[in-house]
Amino acid sequence: MTTVAEQDVALVDLIDRLLGGGVVIAGDITLAAADVDLVYLGLRAVIASVATAREQGVLPETGSAP
Amino acid sequence: MNDKRLHEPSDLDCLGDPLTALDRALPGRLNADPENLERGLAQLVLTIVELLRQLMERQAVRRMDDGSLSDEQVERLGQTFMALSERMAELRERFGFDEEDLNLHLGPLGDLL
Amino acid sequence: MITLYAITDHPTAALPAGVGLHAVADGELSAVCGPAIAKEISADALWAHERLVEVLMDGRDLLPVRYGTSLPDDAAAARALEERHGTYAAALERVRGAVELAVRVFGEGGGASADDPSPGERSPDRGPRERSAAPDGRGDPPGAGAAYLRARARAAAAEAQARTRVHEPLARAARATALAPLPRAGELLRAAYLVDRDATAAFTARVRDVQERCPKLRITCTGPWPPYSFAGS
Repeated sequence: MTTVAEQDVALVDLIDRLLGGGVVIAGDITLAAADVDLVYLGLRAVIASVATAREQGVLPETGSAP
Repeated sequence: MNDKRLHEPSDLDCLGDPLTALDRALPGRLNADPENLERGLAQLVLTIVELLRQLMERQAVRRMDDGSLSDEQVERLGQTFMALSERMAELRERFGFDEEDLNLHLGPLGDLL
Repeated sequence: MITLYAITDHPTAALPAGVGLHAVADGELSAVCGPAIAKEISADALWAHERLVEVLMDGRDLLPVRYGTSLPDDAAAARALEERHGTYAAALERVRGAVELAVRVFGEGGGASADDPSPGERSPDRGPRERSAAPDGRGDPPGAGAAYLRARARAAAAEAQARTRVHEPLARAARATALAPLPRAGELLRAAYLVDRDATAAFTARVRDVQERCPKLRITCTGPWPPYSFAGS
């Protein structure tokens, strides 16, 4: 018998995959929501590129110190 | 249901509050009524702000580690980020979100953080 | 309305019977579809969807489609395939014969890192916030800003260490990896690994080895999953 916490280990990973991964096909969502979808896809590319740049130590300086 | 767990730590307490995973996911269906749209938009905006806050903090840490910040700059940056973090907490509270709500699973719209 | 489950290519074994599935084709690609269902977010609904995709994966390579994806009709599904046909074909080639394993790493001492200051806690080195006669006018102890950034630096260092000590050895045993760019609160690392179907036991053994070498970290590994993180959307 698995405990609730044990079930959640797999459940969290399930949610990450089903709702956060997989092929995205714009379907029956409204136009406004579709626009938001594009924003999200764009931001994910930004996040990924920033994260990569950070790891490689080439994150560009943001100009003069605040 | 086959068990997906291949490896897990001996103490599962580190995984935090159980049963929150589903609460975090978008409840029910995408809802088009105006009140929900506004809250959904607030959630989107706050998530983006939170993302930027985290990225900026990380860059500040990087510069601190590089030694390219004076002690005074470190202190001022730290104070700024603390204030920002508090402000974000206030905004979250106003809209009734907690931290995990800003790490969105938005169904067909995708996952931000 | 129809629900989309997965995109697959030839050779396609017969679809499982009795669950109302049909395939919509575009060249060698096909989208596996079913009748429209309510986009419910519940453990049961998610697991039911997952079971179906896994049955499909038993007989073929596929790209799982995000949960809750529906289209008006078969024609729309065919158009979706046609629009990104090359992308899907390439992604299928990348995941050929492989499954996904999910790994998360936590630090010691509870879900949140002990060093992670919460918004209500100004200075992790000093405990709860105190109003003082400090000259900065905010009522914070002097040096609170620097202490905050130092705590953030420690958290960032812990994440970097998890990448070095856990992600890198596991990545060497995987065909491909997908690292979450920003871990969630409480996590040091979140990643997916694309592993050959018959190599999951070896990968799990490697996870155990890493866990043994890092007793202060807590590692979870689940799978095998369809290749959600490598479907290339």
